[in-house]
Amino acid sequence: MGKILLNEKILAKNDLIAEELRSFYKKNGTFVLNILSSPGSGKTTLLEKVLPQMKESYNILVLIGDLQTTNDAERVSKTGVKAVQINTGQACHLDAKNVYNILKDIGDSSKIDLLIIENVGNLVCPASFDLGEDMKLLVISTPEGDDKPAKYPTVVDVSDCLIINKIDLLPYVNFNVQNCMNYAKGVNKNLTIFTTSCCTGEGLVDVIKFLKNSVDKKNHDNSGC
Amino acid sequence: MHEASIALSIMERAIEISLENNAKKIISITIVIGGLSGIDKESLLFSFDAIKSDSIAARATLKIIEVPIKINCYDCKKNIILNNIFLMCPECGSINIDVIEGREMSIKEIEVE
Repeated sequence: MGKILLNEKILAKNDLIAEELRSFYKKNGTFVLNILSSPGSGKTTLLEKVLPQMKESYNILVLIGDLQTTNDAERVSKTGVKAVQINTGQACHLDAKNVYNILKDIGDSSKIDLLIIENVGNLVCPASFDLGEDMKLLVISTPEGDDKPAKYPTVVDVSDCLIINKIDLLPYVNFNVQNCMNYAKGVNKNLTIFTTSCCTGEGLVDVIKFLKNSVDKKNHDNSGC
Repeated sequence: MHEASIALSIMERAIEISLENNAKKIISITIVIGGLSGIDKESLLFSFDAIKSDSIAARATLKIIEVPIKINCYDCKKNIILNNIFLMCPECGSINIDVIEGREMSIKEIEVE
């Protein structure tokens, strides 16, 4: 009988693949955005609104995780941006291997300026899996309640920015934007926060500008300028 | 419930390492889980028991060391353990803090024979 001392991360294998992906993205100057949210918060609608404003300037690929159906990839494809659906079966999150497998099969993945990964709608599990991304974007919509960041702190802790979406519904739902921001900042003081409505278009200009700056910065860093 | 994926990762790695060390049987696996790791202990234990099957880990127990969230407050210059997830100093209210413990999610050791 004996003890084997290990002291290594439980998700070391996922992290290893994520690091490989990170090197690949860096080499090609690809900016990678991992979008996390509950189901139905408006991730796909947000992409439908944002992508038409970005597709002329950048070569974009969207990966979309869902348990079943190709509905969301079909919706995003209608914007003219290439979208690939990943059906996870019963799995509640995407892992680095899922992303690796798709990129391996896509011949020209080295030419992508912006890779957007719309994760499986879930505020718990996707937070634990590194996909090699540059930025995690969390979307919370107003019907979900303003205390979501307090109830699901881990996903807030790992995120870089937060979009409070569906603000056109504020007159009809019990949601205080400032409370939501305070809860979110209480968990992660470094969050960049936006408020948007994909119906009225409010706030989308700021999100697009922010994303463009982030992509440009990565491309610029990569070119060694 | 990603605890099933986490349990599978633990099991695969533990078996791999144990076989490399010529072990016949895994007695226990000790892991460290932080308060900010997003892991539910009961779900993890349930998942672990469900996947043990007839491997060399069939009778293994999963020992979980829970690490509370600890912050360093730059304003009161103290290290303090938090009882909730609001990442601010409970003594002075400052958000000028760093999380120094609580994000752990690692396999510490494997007991074998």
